[in-house]
Amino acid sequence: MDKVARLRQRAKELLEKQEVVGVLGYRASSRPGISQVAFITKTEEVDRLIFDATCSQNLANYLLKVKDKGKVAVVARGCDSRSIVVLLQEKQIERGQVYILGVGCEGVIVQGEKSVSCRSCQYPNPVIYDEMLGEEVHFEPEKVEDEFDRLTPDERWQILSAEVARCIRCYACRQVCPNCYCPVCFVDASMPALVGKTHNVSDNMVFHIMRALHMAGRCVECGACHRACPMGIDLMRFNRQVAKIVRERFGLVAGAKPDEMPALTVFKPEDPQEFIR
Amino acid sequence: MADSSGFEPKIVAFLCNWCSYAGADLAGISRMQYPPNVRVLRVPCSGRVDPFFILQALQQGADGVLISGCHPGDCHYLTGNYVARRRFAVLNDLLQFCGLEPGRVTFTWVSASEGERFAQLVREVTDRVRKLGPNRKLKKE
Ligand code: SF4
Ligand code: SF4
Repeated sequence: MDKVARLRQRAKELLEKQEVVGVLGYRASSRPGISQVAFITKTEEVDRLIFDATCSQNLANYLLKVKDKGKVAVVARGCDSRSIVVLLQEKQIERGQVYILGVGCEGVIVQGEKSVSCRSCQYPNPVIYDEMLGEEVHFEPEKVEDEFDRLTPDERWQILSAEVARCIRCYACRQVCPNCYCPVCFVDASMPALVGKTHNVSDNMVFHIMRALHMAGRCVECGACHRACPMGIDLMRFNRQVAKIVRERFGLVAGAKPDEMPALTVFKPEDPQEFIR
Repeated sequence: MADSSGFEPKIVAFLCNWCSYAGADLAGISRMQYPPNVRVLRVPCSGRVDPFFILQALQQGADGVLISGCHPGDCHYLTGNYVARRRFAVLNDLLQFCGLEPGRVTFTWVSASEGERFAQLVREVTDRVRKLGPNRKLKKE
């Protein structure tokens, strides 16, 4: 049985036995190449569920929106499952609240191309699950060669400030991110106002630095923010960099291990401090 | 003291109440000489230094920022500086990545007995920032 058939069958069983109140997954949309998030609560609707390369949203985000309804089953690939781990570590959900239907993922295809974040993906398979739908997936991740590191500070500033200058501060990147869940976001705080709301380069750069910093040790590089950005801003450049900093400095990968805590919430007395004068 | 262009850097210093502020105080009461370019802000702990403080200082026209807390192991709140250290490490790396000049933002530990070290640091930081020139990158025009 293929994984979609298995998914529908299991969704039906879980709903019939009332083990879950709903199944969070994907369904086709009226636009080809794009699927929608679906929250299926009726057994007669389980045949709508799909899973393929058009399923680009990170479902952990939607989990936060339906978690109060009761126990929910959720379809999760590597990145979604790592987001769930982060939510568990940060006590936004409890393990007993979710039933994880794990799926291996070959990568998300957007407009005929494999999404940037998926090309270098190290975690195509879920890190936690209650059951796997189908086989695990294995592929060689592409190496993302970054010429950028070798540029001078001024050149880097030029490139990045031109990039963020296009940001219209719509915050779509924040809305889709499963690990951006603060009830009051720093960009909306007004007493005191932490970051200017204009889209001049200074405010935009501060927004992007702070967004990246808030994601340090928590961003699972799912690429949802990158795909959501209407201005095509290369958010993965920041995300990849914070993931790299955290990996190299503290040996941690966001959401990879359920029993580890996010990098910036813990410390070791012997942490490197060569940058401290 | 000014260089030929007459540029005098403005430096904002966030000092932890328990060690670094006391260290700066000691430098003062011991009448140690250091450049008057630094504006001190007292914070309860280096852990209280939100990266926003640093970025906002630069946005609002500081040419350099100095952040100082107690040496590891000496935090009044036991672990505030350890947690801050991780955050500063990531922030520092991120700022370098974005292309901010190394040396605009300096992180240090200064204890309450290190008045001379504080004075020396301010001399160094002022010197370095003077050489870097005015902050143009993050400043809000
Ligand atoms: S910041 Fe972007 S890539 Fe990282 S977890 Fe959030 S949506 Fe995914
Ligand atoms: S989605 Fe893109 S344009 Fe909108 S705030 Fe995020 S980076 Fe800026």
